[in-house]
Amino acid sequence: MANEEKPKLKLAVYWAASCGGCCVSVLDVHEKLFDVVAAADLVFWPIALDVKYKDVEAMPDGHIDVTLFNGAVRNSENEYMAKLLRKKSKVLVAYGSCAHMGGIPGLANFTTKEGIFNRAYIESESTDNPEGIFPQTEYEVPEGTLEIPEFYNDVRSLGQVVDVDYYLPGCPPQTERLVEVFMAIVTGAELPPPGSVVGANDKTQCDECEREKSENKTIKKFYRPWQIKDDGKTCFLEQGVICMGPATRGGCGVRCIVGNAPCRGCYGPPPDAPDPGSKMMSAIATMIDANEDNEIQEIIETIDDPAGTFYRFSLPASILRRTIS
Amino acid sequence: MDFEPKIVSFLCNWCSYTGADLAGTSRMKYAPNIRVIRIMCSGRVEPTFVLKAFREGADGVLICGCHPGDCHYHEGNYKCLRRYHLLQKYLKQMGIQGERLKLEWVSASEGKQFADLADSFTETIRGLGPCKVKENVETLA
Amino acid sequence: MEEQRIGVYLCWCGTNIAKMVDVESIAEEVGKLPNVVIAKNYKYMCSDPGQELIVNDIKEHNLNRVVVSACSPRIHELTFRKALENAGLNPYLFEMANIREQVSWVHTDRTAATRKARQLVKAAINRVVFHEPLDKRSVDINPATLIIGGGVSGLSAALEIGEAGKKVFIVEKNSKLGGHTADIDLTYPYMYSAGQMLDSMVQRANDNPNIEIFLESEVDEIFGYVGNFESKVKDKNGKETELNFGNVIVATGLKPFDAGKIDNYGYGKLPNVVTSVEFEKMLKTGNILTKEGKEPKNVAIIHCVGSRNPDYHEYCSRICCMVAMKFANQIKSALPDSNVYELYADMRAFGKGCEEFYSLSSSKNILFLMFDQKEGLPLIKKAGSGDNCDMIIEMEEKLSGENIEVPADMVILMVGMEAQDNAKDIAHQVGVSMCGNDFYIEKHPKLDPVATTTDGVYIVGGCQAPKDITDSVSQARAAAARILASIAYGSVEVEVTTASVNEDVCCGCQTCIKVCPYTAISFDEEKNVSVVNEVLCKGCGTCGSTCPTGAIKCKHFTDVQILSQIEGLMTLEEV
Repeated sequence: MANEEKPKLKLAVYWAASCGGCCVSVLDVHEKLFDVVAAADLVFWPIALDVKYKDVEAMPDGHIDVTLFNGAVRNSENEYMAKLLRKKSKVLVAYGSCAHMGGIPGLANFTTKEGIFNRAYIESESTDNPEGIFPQTEYEVPEGTLEIPEFYNDVRSLGQVVDVDYYLPGCPPQTERLVEVFMAIVTGAELPPPGSVVGANDKTQCDECEREKSENKTIKKFYRPWQIKDDGKTCFLEQGVICMGPATRGGCGVRCIVGNAPCRGCYGPPPDAPDPGSKMMSAIATMIDANEDNEIQEIIETIDDPAGTFYRFSLPASILRRTIS
Repeated sequence: MDFEPKIVSFLCNWCSYTGADLAGTSRMKYAPNIRVIRIMCSGRVEPTFVLKAFREGADGVLICGCHPGDCHYHEGNYKCLRRYHLLQKYLKQMGIQGERLKLEWVSASEGKQFADLADSFTETIRGLGPCKVKENVETLA
Repeated sequence: MEEQRIGVYLCWCGTNIAKMVDVESIAEEVGKLPNVVIAKNYKYMCSDPGQELIVNDIKEHNLNRVVVSACSPRIHELTFRKALENAGLNPYLFEMANIREQVSWVHTDRTAATRKARQLVKAAINRVVFHEPLDKRSVDINPATLIIGGGVSGLSAALEIGEAGKKVFIVEKNSKLGGHTADIDLTYPYMYSAGQMLDSMVQRANDNPNIEIFLESEVDEIFGYVGNFESKVKDKNGKETELNFGNVIVATGLKPFDAGKIDNYGYGKLPNVVTSVEFEKMLKTGNILTKEGKEPKNVAIIHCVGSRNPDYHEYCSRICCMVAMKFANQIKSALPDSNVYELYADMRAFGKGCEEFYSLSSSKNILFLMFDQKEGLPLIKKAGSGDNCDMIIEMEEKLSGENIEVPADMVILMVGMEAQDNAKDIAHQVGVSMCGNDFYIEKHPKLDPVATTTDGVYIVGGCQAPKDITDSVSQARAAAARILASIAYGSVEVEVTTASVNEDVCCGCQTCIKVCPYTAISFDEEKNVSVVNEVLCKGCGTCGSTCPTGAIKCKHFTDVQILSQIEGLMTLEEV
């Protein structure tokens, strides 16, 4: 609890290429909101406060104590604000999967700006755009020049644009973890070195998962979750369903598995992973119960979308970053 | 300038690395484009290494192990085979031609086969042209 | 990380490397790299002065990592690791770049070869930065030895070890000991009786309390590691015996080539066409008789049956020429009026006393007729009613250049030797590799011909390659001596580049447990982590690549080391 003499922490929350869920997760502090409000001054939060970009630009550098930046960087506005908030913040936290690794918006790295624009503005079934007009960054109207951000070809994580102090993973991060991290900062506890992941365990999901595991990890066929009658207690992998749990940090309370859905990897890889998805890819391949080319390939046919499965939240952070364009 | 493929190769100590050495002691000649990394077993090769090779600028990756049934550690080569197939599916999704990654079994006595493989794979990659992964990543900034 | 002080050494290997790789310029370039304190080139790094150079530099310049670019690590990695040890540095803080077998000996363009060598050196420098000291690991040796096969090789080894007072198990699939030697009458070149030699050996083996013999039995899969193996022996009734032993000698021998595969020779169709194996048995009975019970007037002996022929086996079976000489002599001795024809491709008489034996045989009125396998094999036909012999052999005699007909009442086919039908199964059971002809591969063809790459497993006799009794016995006794030496030493070093699980990272998913072929990984239910038994682990690295968390570290082949090596291969493109 902050005392009267200690100045309140200046806190900012910003959303770039985001769904808004991370902002909701901050609001989800519920009754802990009073602790937060007592300890912090919210100085910038587009979803909740009427503070403008120019107000942020006017702040002295380092004025903001902590910025929780969620969302990926996929256009020039996102990039501008990432750089601006980096300048204006003492501690910049990449909050949530999108800022951490690119997240769901990161899946756009399977295609190109051209592909996206064609789909969105021309090909999509409900679009009526006979002149094939695409958004332009500048447009002249009688009143002057209208500007909108430039849409980039590639999605990037926050750390690929600016230096990040901490990563708080999750889609969205579990609110309890946010409160823990926030209170650690507020109480001046010793923080891990810059660049660390906070609010998540070092060990992966299996460590906390209550499902029964055995050494029988060989798979003759992979199933989508809806294709099996889940017995509710056996490890998903042993039932042939790909669960990213073994390669995903814990800290979310194993919430998807508790809800009888396999983990999809939103908390990202464990420490020192060279790539967010390749080790799970190797593990899954090793589990394939076949030694002949054609048998192996038949089983792999049942893995519908390896790239989307192993890199659902982390494509921009992967070694390849995106498809060849 | 003519394109000279850069190929990273993983050779298992007991079979394929020895086979490559045999090509040397027999003074066979082959293309100088293969750069070798020695590992104890092809079962040590995992997708991360292949992806890293492409990311660092390799135009092709060649993995060699013992023939099925002859692995010095019994089954490591089968694990490598399974990973190879899944990796191929992933590479295809990412727009990397499958021909750039090759898995071939070479035994300790197959020096000539190794030399021929080095030549033929180099030509395959030469035909495909440079791999764009590194360039791709560098343009992302 | 500690400060890196790397010494890089490029070997000329005389002109072997230097003529195709500009080692001097590479040394100069890499000398400029960060962390490289010394970069030298020298004519023969593996020589005493070469090694001293490393030892002195380590001491003088406080080096803590060493890279040597020279021949294959399979030749000299141990040599240089010892040099590091002599200088007080852990031997695993060392990396070799192979710029001879895989660069200078195989490429023809000096610029390209030098570029490739430079990449390999850079990769080694990158990698060695992440090497960690590893300590040696020794295990005790069970003084018992398992010998698979009770032929002359297996018996020789068993006697050597058993008579030295150590326990031996012989497992023989047939109902008696002796293998093929038991069916031999006399041995070349001095015509000693095989039976006499063998009988005394079998007697000694039976009488020796240290030697336990399992006849009509086979070995099941062998588990464990050098000094500590275990297996089950099953007899023909299915009774199983568990055995524990420290070393294995594989002496499973060979089998004769199936002459029926060669149509020209009519084996199986013409009753008086016999194989050398069958003729040897005939000699043992003391009578040389055709199927009709008559003494043959004309005997033809055809060499290289199934050997030195790409359609059957390319290799030479080594003993057939001399056995054929032996047969010729024995036939002439038993049937002085008979005509003996040697139909040969080449005469191979290289062993001690063999050339003399051949010369002696040539003086005994034996007709030598040469054929060329590439031109065509002799053809054996049933003789016509007008011919006064049973068969006629048509052949193109090479030295005269004429097509001739050779009369024969009996034809002896000198069949080659080939690997046993179950050679592959046995190879898998004991963990040895096979070459293209299904013979077992030795550790080094020149310097270590009885050991294999699996520590504690030796291969002797015919299963390694066709050979005669002399060479078989030599190998068997050599393997026995090696084993006795290791037993005397008391302990043996095992693999240190093993896997280990970081319990702070392992999540307990158990994906790795069944992946290990040596069942070296177990699960600790209490701690919820996997555990590697590093004595059983052979360091293949399969578990490390399987682990989804990166908890399993494959010592000396870690992710970080290999990834940095990959980076090194792709940098330093241009000088």
